[in-house]
Amino acid sequence: MTNKDKKRKAAANWTNYLYLAPATVLIALFFISSIIYTVYLSFQNWDGFSPMTFAGLSNYLHLFTDPNFKISLMNTFIWVVCSLVVSLIIPLLLAILISKSSWLTGFKNIFYFPTALSATVGGMIIASMLSKYGIPQLFSFIGLPNLMQDWLAVPYVNTFIMIVMGMWQGVGMNMLLFLSGLKNIPSSPIEAAVIEGANTYHLYAKVIFPLLKPTTIVVLLMSLVNSFKVFDSIWVMTKGGPYRTSETLALTMYEESFIYNRFGVGSAVAVVLTVMILIVSYFNLKNTFQEPNIA
Amino acid sequence: MQTKRATRAVINTVLTILGILWLFPVLFTVFGSFKGRQEYRLGNFWDLPKENLFGSNLIAVITSVGLGRSMISSFLYAFCGALFSAVIAALAAYAISHLNIRHRTFWFLFIYSGTIFPFQIYLIPVYKGYVQTHLYDTRFGMILFYTAICIPFSMFVLHNFFIGISKEICESAKIDGCTNLQILTRIFIPIAKAPISIVFLTQFTWCWNDLMFGLTFTKSPEIRSVMASISLLGKDNVPVLLTGCLLASIPTIVFFFVLQKNFETGFVYTSK
Repeated sequence: MTNKDKKRKAAANWTNYLYLAPATVLIALFFISSIIYTVYLSFQNWDGFSPMTFAGLSNYLHLFTDPNFKISLMNTFIWVVCSLVVSLIIPLLLAILISKSSWLTGFKNIFYFPTALSATVGGMIIASMLSKYGIPQLFSFIGLPNLMQDWLAVPYVNTFIMIVMGMWQGVGMNMLLFLSGLKNIPSSPIEAAVIEGANTYHLYAKVIFPLLKPTTIVVLLMSLVNSFKVFDSIWVMTKGGPYRTSETLALTMYEESFIYNRFGVGSAVAVVLTVMILIVSYFNLKNTFQEPNIA
Repeated sequence: MQTKRATRAVINTVLTILGILWLFPVLFTVFGSFKGRQEYRLGNFWDLPKENLFGSNLIAVITSVGLGRSMISSFLYAFCGALFSAVIAALAAYAISHLNIRHRTFWFLFIYSGTIFPFQIYLIPVYKGYVQTHLYDTRFGMILFYTAICIPFSMFVLHNFFIGISKEICESAKIDGCTNLQILTRIFIPIAKAPISIVFLTQFTWCWNDLMFGLTFTKSPEIRSVMASISLLGKDNVPVLLTGCLLASIPTIVFFFVLQKNFETGFVYTSK
């Protein structure tokens, strides 16, 4: 190639990068720099108005001694573990039942419908239903007036109630994924197993569940990562209360920053949360990019 | 695999009971929106509404609470955010999949990294940046942010689709004298109608449903997003709140019915 050709090719290649420019500029501005800045901010003291002062590791040390942080960590752990169970077992059961029912489309839409509502709307509806004049009112009619109160105001119990209610909106997507996975199972292994006299238990345990493994892994990893990030529904149902007992890490980060004006501490919480999610996401990414298919 | 008729009957019954339970909160909301404030408090929530107060609840929600303004704002943010990000993402996805670029994997991961980190980590710096650049509590600021945050996922999906288009098409187009841009606009985009519409609708839904950023980056009622406004409604007047919830859910429910048929095909593009 002559030098003139090389120059022309380099010039043409240069314009190719313009296609990437809007995306990379926006990402770099908003996100890459944000990550760096949050880490930086976690080592500072800042209330949002006064100048920042260097804090070293004191924000992180504060977290380890803060009872609110410990409660938040515990709640986050409870959310993650319960969500795992809920997002795997119930959608799978629903998917199996629906696939054998007489009205697949109808049931599929009914159980997916709450997922179409936003977490905010869902949370507000549930919060109204569980408030004093909603469902708890029933208990006063059957002679248990003590139970007629706002169920979401009971510390620790409200976390479990929120998780159960989260399931109402949460299982739809996973159920669809499992339905799709079930539909894609080839019929020959199943027929072979039936011919060889497998009963229902063997059929599911030895044939169907192993064939569902790819779908299960995707559902598992997606739910795991999402359960760390839950914010909207908890905020709308309890705002982390009463007395910050139902906070998870995502809420603690928000509250420390925007309510208590301790942006340094809030950033430290964000970093802790991010590290936890990255560890889990590593497995997610490995699974997504098993085959190199970038170009 | 055949299911016995008796088993099927049992399954249908179980699912019907569960289904009623599942739709119960929706019924609660619909009936509640017809009630009046006092009627809700004094009566039993099982009671059917005595009169039709839906109209006045609707008016209250739109005017005194300002939900109408919020819905218009959110519609603007979600529509523009989804549209602009789809365009920007298509350009980037095309470049990474079909143009002569070095270090493709690096650029791909650079853009895709937007989805890996939890969004919480972006909250404080963008807030501070917006305050300092006077983009806080502005429409432009909201549109810009929603555009940026929708890019990574849109790029991922469109790249997935573009990579399946064979290079021969590009080569024969080049022989016919097409430029890179023309290949994108005249060949790729028309083929990609399905994934583009899925991307647009899912990102619109995400932006519409967002609470955290809408709450943090706005202050005044004119700029506030719809979910932020809903979250600020008190439990004082529950029927008005429920009416608001119904109103705010209209776009996502519409998309739910529109996307029904396309869901299965849509998932193909969003997975590997």
